[in-house]
Amino acid sequence: MSSSGLPSDAFVVALARLPQVGPARLRALLRAGEPEQVWAALCGGSNPGTPAAAASRHGGAVLDALIADPADRRSPEQRLALIESWGRAARALDVATFWRAHLDAGVGVTVLGAPSFPPVFAADDDPPVVLFWKGELDHLAGVRVAIVGTRRATRYGRDLAFELGRDLATDGVAVVSGLALGIDGAAHGGALDAAGAPPIAVVGSGLDRIYPRAHAALWRRVAETGVIISEYPLGAPAAAWQFPARNRLIATLADALVVVESQHTGGAMGTAVEATRRGRVVMALPGPVTSAASDGTNQLLVDGCAPVRDATDVLVALGRDAVPRRRAAETRRPPSAQGAAVLDHIAWQAAPIEQLLLATGLDLGALALRLDELEADGWISQRAGWVERVGRSRS
Amino acid sequence: MLATVPSATLFGVDGVGVTVEVHVARGLPGFTVVGLPDTSCRESRDRVRAALLTSGFSWPDSRTTVNLAPTTVRKIGSALDLAIAIGVLVASEQLSPSAIEGRAFLGELGLDGTLRHVAGVLPIIEAIDAPEIIVPPGSVHEASLVGDRPIRCAPDLRSLIDALTAESPWPRPPEDPAEPLVAAVPELAEVRGHQVARTALEIAAAGGHNLLMVGPPGAGKTMLAHRLSGLLPELDDALALEATRVHSAAGVLPPGGLIRRPPWRAPHHGTSAVAMVGGGSQRLRPGEISLAHGGVLFLDELGEFSAVVLDALRQPLEEGVIRIARAETRVEVPADFLLVAAMNPCPCGEGVTAGACRCTDRALDRYRRRVSGPLLDRFDLRLDVHRPDPRALLHGDAAECTAVVAARVRSVRARARARGVATNAALTGSALERLAPLSAGASALLERALESGSLTARGLRRIWRVALTIADLADHDGPLTAEHVASAFHLRAEPAFLRSSMAP
Repeated sequence: MSSSGLPSDAFVVALARLPQVGPARLRALLRAGEPEQVWAALCGGSNPGTPAAAASRHGGAVLDALIADPADRRSPEQRLALIESWGRAARALDVATFWRAHLDAGVGVTVLGAPSFPPVFAADDDPPVVLFWKGELDHLAGVRVAIVGTRRATRYGRDLAFELGRDLATDGVAVVSGLALGIDGAAHGGALDAAGAPPIAVVGSGLDRIYPRAHAALWRRVAETGVIISEYPLGAPAAAWQFPARNRLIATLADALVVVESQHTGGAMGTAVEATRRGRVVMALPGPVTSAASDGTNQLLVDGCAPVRDATDVLVALGRDAVPRRRAAETRRPPSAQGAAVLDHIAWQAAPIEQLLLATGLDLGALALRLDELEADGWISQRAGWVERVGRSRS
Repeated sequence: MLATVPSATLFGVDGVGVTVEVHVARGLPGFTVVGLPDTSCRESRDRVRAALLTSGFSWPDSRTTVNLAPTTVRKIGSALDLAIAIGVLVASEQLSPSAIEGRAFLGELGLDGTLRHVAGVLPIIEAIDAPEIIVPPGSVHEASLVGDRPIRCAPDLRSLIDALTAESPWPRPPEDPAEPLVAAVPELAEVRGHQVARTALEIAAAGGHNLLMVGPPGAGKTMLAHRLSGLLPELDDALALEATRVHSAAGVLPPGGLIRRPPWRAPHHGTSAVAMVGGGSQRLRPGEISLAHGGVLFLDELGEFSAVVLDALRQPLEEGVIRIARAETRVEVPADFLLVAAMNPCPCGEGVTAGACRCTDRALDRYRRRVSGPLLDRFDLRLDVHRPDPRALLHGDAAECTAVVAARVRSVRARARARGVATNAALTGSALERLAPLSAGASALLERALESGSLTARGLRRIWRVALTIADLADHDGPLTAEHVASAFHLRAEPAFLRSSMAP
């Protein structure tokens, strides 16, 4: 407890909320002095909640340390401008209210070095300085596999991410992902579907800033059954630069990383690089070589990552289940004679319905009826006028 | 002396009879127009004065008052010029009142006395209460479309007065304009591939079902939509007159009599809400949806239209009329059109092909919100259009031509008329249950969809109507089969761009 009656963590949280402060800058700020001193120095002693004496005693030294920070590559003028903007933001923020907001919202806070700080992060060479979480931090204890990929995923990628998430969670492996659209969301959707190991999400915004908004329900369910972790305090919006930083946390957490679909460049490829740097197992799901959405994952395979076909491949890579299980027996109801005749005309690649009309010689009504039947039994999937065979049973 | 001349003015798309009263009396020389004239109408004073002087008449050297009765209707435009001029001549005793007995006058005056055509002649003529009407030469053809009384014309004020006073015979009306060359309707047989889309066009034309096509650039959405106009039957007399009236009021009536071919309107996506539904602060001009009355409103790039414009379409889509209200005035304009729209699956256009879309989530989100759910719900047919298979483009069999399909469309429309509606799309829920029973298989299909939540009660009716049109096209009598309903389902797919990127 300090002279202001607030824990030192409250000032770390407030510092983390300053504009353009990421883990590196937060470390630099904390190097300059005790959190409360730094805060007082930034406020210039005009913050009524801070004793003016402390500011005058330490303010000069703290600011000097900040300006002279050797780790900062910016010019001294830029550094001054940034520190001034911090000062303005700091004077506008009331530390006590902000700290209470976190307590009231049920957001957990832990600072690097505290006993509650997760050891997996503390051991990293680029650790977060402060962590916020919603849910139970104990869920980090077990084996964790990250499933990541592009937001612009294909049906194939989403289906397999869902399946992987579900099967891994069923086997007691916690699924780590970023709650983004596409692969991330599908993987967590699968993990929640299984009601197995609790899901773990790492996000790039404050825990009250749900992004993307389309995943609000998913976000809530993950917080209820698992845990959502963020490096950013409440109110921090999702800025582009925060996502690569978020990806490094996913890579840190993962015992193995599975990239389901990714373009040649993109966040998931960055996560793969971070995971490789940390010596994690990186695996990739093969896709058609013509698919832009699988461009990055196929490159990962060429570069030597292990391929993933299903959850068993991941478990084997983790050494959890040395005996690969048999492929599940066909459980789908066999198609009717008419259905089978249509199925024969559907190639393994998606085909437009026009092509089927020509190939089968049926009229639209009869064909639509049979396709609906086949889809209901799980033999095909239809989307936007394309018909695709479904390779194996999903149940 | 007082003169009274019947005429009429335009209000929305309807004519309103106006009596022009001119009073010339001793007093300070002056000229006033009263009776709610707007600026363009007030200006007629200067035109009338110049026209009288250049035509060899004198301008009354006394106090002249023009009253436009009824005084509650705002008079807009120059259609009353001629009636005012005639009134001034009679009131100033340059023309005998007997010469204009039983005659109404309509037209704009040039400064040299020329009589000029005005917009909205057809509805104006309908509103005039007089046995004989004098119009500018350019309006004779349009005025004769009503055909219930003699129409006379004169090229200018001088020759008109000469004819009125029987000093010279009535000038001959101008020749009827030659029948305009009917613009060649794009031929359906030229379409290669696109079997499903072609079926959808046929169903849309036959049943009056609104059609939405979603597909990447170059898939042929616009090309297909243009083929639709050839499939629609000609307008019947009542509808043709309504359509002609709207075009006349907007001043865009093409030469060649009543509009018989269904109009085709394709406003650009930058179109404002007023231009789309009609209005404007002065004369309430008919908008694109009214000009499309009886025909097709084609909205290309639906996602680029502003949300305000699109939501303004909802009420006319339900009711077939648009009610425009301003502080002082309120008009009802017919707007019964077939809505055909085309859009890309996402802003970059490649959203249909797996993994090819380059759009950001935010852009996608914005695009999805642009087209509201209620509007999407009003499309009976929603179709994904793909780029056709190149083999079909080069070697595809020649498909049915427009004439064959149009004949089928006519027969389906005849069936709809026998049911008491213009098209199947206008059938009410109870009429459907009575006139188009479902077979056991069809009911089972619909029940399954309702139970799974993929179909709402309103969607059910729409599917049902489309299924009926499909059955009609196949000349099928008796209960609708499962095949008909399955086709209807297939042609009302949830648009690709709406499907969220969430896992199943």
